[in-house]
Amino acid sequence: MKFRNVSAVVLAATAALSMAACSGSSSETSSGGSDGKSFEFWSFTGINAKGSAEEYKKIKPDVQIKLTEVGNAQETAQALTTALAGGKVPDLVLIQGDDLPKFVQQPQNFVDLRTMGADKIKGDYLDWVISQSTTKDGAIIGIPTDVGGMAIAYRTDLFKKAGLPTDREEVGKLWPTWDAFIETGKKYTAATGKAFIDNAGGSIYSQVVNQGQEKYYDPAGNLVYERSPQVKTAFDQALKAVAAGITAKQSTFTEGWSAAMKRGDFAAIAAPVWLLGSIRDNAPDTKGEWDIATIPGGSGNWGGSFLAIPKGAKNPKAAWDYIAATQSPQGQLDHFAQARSLPSTPSVYKDPKLTSAKDEFFSGAPIGTIYTNSLLGLKPFLIGPDSTTIGTEFTNAITNVEQGKGDPAKAWDAAVTNIKTAIGG
Amino acid sequence: MTTSITPTKAGLPPAPPVEAARRGFTEIVAPYAYIAPFFVLFAVFGLIPLLFTFYVALFDWNPIGEHVFVGLDNFSRLLGDVRFWNAARNTVSIWLLSTVPQLLVALVLAHMLNHVRLRLAVFFRMTMLVPYITSVAATAIVFSQMFDRDYGLLNWLLGLVGFEHIDFTQSVMGSHVLIAVMVAWRWFGYTTLLYLASLQAVPRAIYEAAAVDGAGGARQFLHISLPSLRPVIVFTIVTSTIGGLQIFTEALLVNRGAASTCGPIRQCQTLTLFLFEQGFTQFKFGYAAAIGVALFVMVVALAGLNYFLSTRIRPVKG
Repeated sequence: MKFRNVSAVVLAATAALSMAACSGSSSETSSGGSDGKSFEFWSFTGINAKGSAEEYKKIKPDVQIKLTEVGNAQETAQALTTALAGGKVPDLVLIQGDDLPKFVQQPQNFVDLRTMGADKIKGDYLDWVISQSTTKDGAIIGIPTDVGGMAIAYRTDLFKKAGLPTDREEVGKLWPTWDAFIETGKKYTAATGKAFIDNAGGSIYSQVVNQGQEKYYDPAGNLVYERSPQVKTAFDQALKAVAAGITAKQSTFTEGWSAAMKRGDFAAIAAPVWLLGSIRDNAPDTKGEWDIATIPGGSGNWGGSFLAIPKGAKNPKAAWDYIAATQSPQGQLDHFAQARSLPSTPSVYKDPKLTSAKDEFFSGAPIGTIYTNSLLGLKPFLIGPDSTTIGTEFTNAITNVEQGKGDPAKAWDAAVTNIKTAIGG
Repeated sequence: MTTSITPTKAGLPPAPPVEAARRGFTEIVAPYAYIAPFFVLFAVFGLIPLLFTFYVALFDWNPIGEHVFVGLDNFSRLLGDVRFWNAARNTVSIWLLSTVPQLLVALVLAHMLNHVRLRLAVFFRMTMLVPYITSVAATAIVFSQMFDRDYGLLNWLLGLVGFEHIDFTQSVMGSHVLIAVMVAWRWFGYTTLLYLASLQAVPRAIYEAAAVDGAGGARQFLHISLPSLRPVIVFTIVTSTIGGLQIFTEALLVNRGAASTCGPIRQCQTLTLFLFEQGFTQFKFGYAAAIGVALFVMVVALAGLNYFLSTRIRPVKG
């Protein structure tokens, strides 16, 4: 009996494979049918995918959408991986930007959307976004549904107590650069004795590193993380914030982070547009005490997702019709009005529907304008198969120093060593 | 019937030859059919994946891309991988920290629960099992909150009496202790009940005789309870060794900022968590399979060692 337990766990890796293989044989049962109008759609939980599907059914009443909310973004990517390995795939799948590179590296698993007409619409999308789902040979395997967009969310009440300005224009002027941002943090911490931001990895490193023209790979696909100036700058800025003692040392999305947010134990946080919802849900009592200012450096993006059609899809046409209808500039704009997901189509950024959008929880901040402005300064850079791993190792090295365990002087070398172990192994 | 030439035994009616053959066949096959479900399921979910793991471990296996045969490369890389040895060290450390105190506490508790004059004995015995039937994830989340650096109950109490807050999740030792506490919490009741069941088989008369001879509680425990528990102690050591090498959920949930590495410096990443990280976040199935094989070898080796030790101990009189 024990032996079975042993082998069950030891073989976690292959169990999924063999199960996928098993289900491959009975693949007829649950697909949306093959009348060309129905399709099977895998999406994430928590983003109201059902609402989007129902909206579409209003336009196309004869279409059947078999929607599965697989899990969170990462779980959905894991499920897609096993599905691709096993051969039983949905007709349409939502993939988060972070998970996209490993699928772009294996484009043979997906329909090249140029064959469906993506060539004609690819100019609608931000160039640095569509470039993430474009392969070296120019094949487009995903259409961007939304983008992150960055800003700094801050607590006006806490800023006031610390003697800092509270108006969003003035606050934005406090920190044209990251150096100025850290200086503001020092003033805040000196005045209140409390931390200024949640953590250095998320609120500084991940933001600065995305503001350059080159990240971990050069345009030819060579690894340059060791000598890329933007990476080093981002790393050093994060360590500077740590040394200044302005971080609450709370890793994003942990229990401590939520608790600290509720209690006002940090006053500012680098917030992509989708994080606003988390703040609202997490700390409902702080309604009206938040506001939103521009991010140092002026630009940034964190997150965003893509719709892709796996090669084995039975109803690729129906899936593409859905993409074409819902991901057009107008479609994304409508979705922004409902769900606050930021369009990846710059042509609607001046649309009154977007510019007039205000958020009461955040003191009526014009979120549409603030967030879309942060997207216009970004340059496309190559994201490679190991980008996520490299980013994780750099962030981990910073967190380690932040938690008081690592030596800041050795942190960079430690990160580089860990990266070499991780991507070589 | 008259054409039958089958010899009949006295007292038995002559059976038609066809039916006899069929019954013989059924009787031969039936027992196998009865046990077949287990073996079929075991083959599908145990043996075939096991063998397949050995096969995958020989490849650079991208689940959605190429499968390149690399021979024993994964294994030689694994032996030189600091992350593997770190995970092995963490696993052994967490296993020792959770098992040793857990078995000792269970021994003492079982001895106490076995006491004749204990009131509400059934209530106490059943309460022991509550942690065991609680979901691991729920346990892990509650303990993580209690041990939280800034807002945890434990650190709040430490702060009240004037101590510095301890950051359990970020240090190597702290995170090991935290996970060990969760594991021990989950299993101590189960182990206690095993010991208790074994103790109840010891005749009361022996305890009474010892008491008459003037042996106190401690001496009774050392000289009666402990020796009579020897077989079940060996059993619990073997099972907790196997379980200890597979600690996963607790480690995954302790450091949710960096879940699959259990923290920024892999301070509490166990072997199974390392396997999970490589297989399901990095999608290096070949390498993950090699970790699985290494873990398999370690479990078999340790189980063998346990068996060897237990056979060596058995002849010694308690």
